[in-house]
Amino acid sequence: MALGTVTESESDVDIRPDRPWVCVVWDDPVNLMTYVTHVFMVIFGYSKEKANELMLKVHNEGRATVASGTREEMERDVQRLHEYGLWATVQRVDEF
Amino acid sequence: MSSFRKDDAGKIHILFTSQESHVLINLVEQLIELLGGESVLQSHSSEVWGHDDDPLLRLLGVTGSDAPPDDPVLRRLLPNAYADEQSAGEFRRYTEDSLRQKKRAHAMAIYEALIPQDEEWSADKPLDRGSIEVSLEQTEIMVWLGGLNDLRLALAVRLGIGENAPNIKEEHQKYELMKESDPMKAVYAVYSWLGWLQQSLLDQIL
Repeated sequence: MALGTVTESESDVDIRPDRPWVCVVWDDPVNLMTYVTHVFMVIFGYSKEKANELMLKVHNEGRATVASGTREEMERDVQRLHEYGLWATVQRVDEF
Repeated sequence: MSSFRKDDAGKIHILFTSQESHVLINLVEQLIELLGGESVLQSHSSEVWGHDDDPLLRLLGVTGSDAPPDDPVLRRLLPNAYADEQSAGEFRRYTEDSLRQKKRAHAMAIYEALIPQDEEWSADKPLDRGSIEVSLEQTEIMVWLGGLNDLRLALAVRLGIGENAPNIKEEHQKYELMKESDPMKAVYAVYSWLGWLQQSLLDQIL
């Protein structure tokens, strides 16, 4: 699936009017599943259960929204995800 | 094959054979060069943990390129942060240099752990140093995981793994069925080993 073509809504991440940007992680067949889970735990402080759930969503659906917040916050998250080799992008919540 | 183990005190160790450390040293050297670092044989130490950020370098990073790298491996290691080219370019101009530095620091940490500080390693030297023990502090675990992951990503791009996502099994089969004499078979073997190594580290912490 090409970037920016996502249309369906996300329900598992806090998306409120004051949190108008999201960080999306895209599936990559190279990154180990347990590695992706661990990176989510370290970067976002998510529980193992939540991190694992998001990892499976990325794996099964091709992408998942892993965080929401201000543009600056999402850019910082994406930069950290890139630092650890995950494929992540920032987008406006209304691009969904 | 060597794998990461946890001792009774909870500390993680690995004993690399000299051949394994030789392969890893060569790979991280190539990665550092690709990321645009100085030769690792000339200088290191101060930059390893990124504590010694040069304000001038950071300033230069701000005026960096907004175009994605030409090399497909670098494009994978330094991907676009936005779907639209303009936002991606703008973000890249301000951040790519610091991302390169972080990735170099990860690779440098692996390099330094495998090279005794008082020794100048050279690819021409005979492999007579025996096995190398590496112990990881808590803060070094993510550095190693990230560095090993970058090596896997780099080799995967060169091997073409992941280009045809729904057929990932076929891509792997292609290499498994390949003749031993094919040089790409050896690259695939290293790629598989790195995945096994990274998983053995993850098994210790999850």
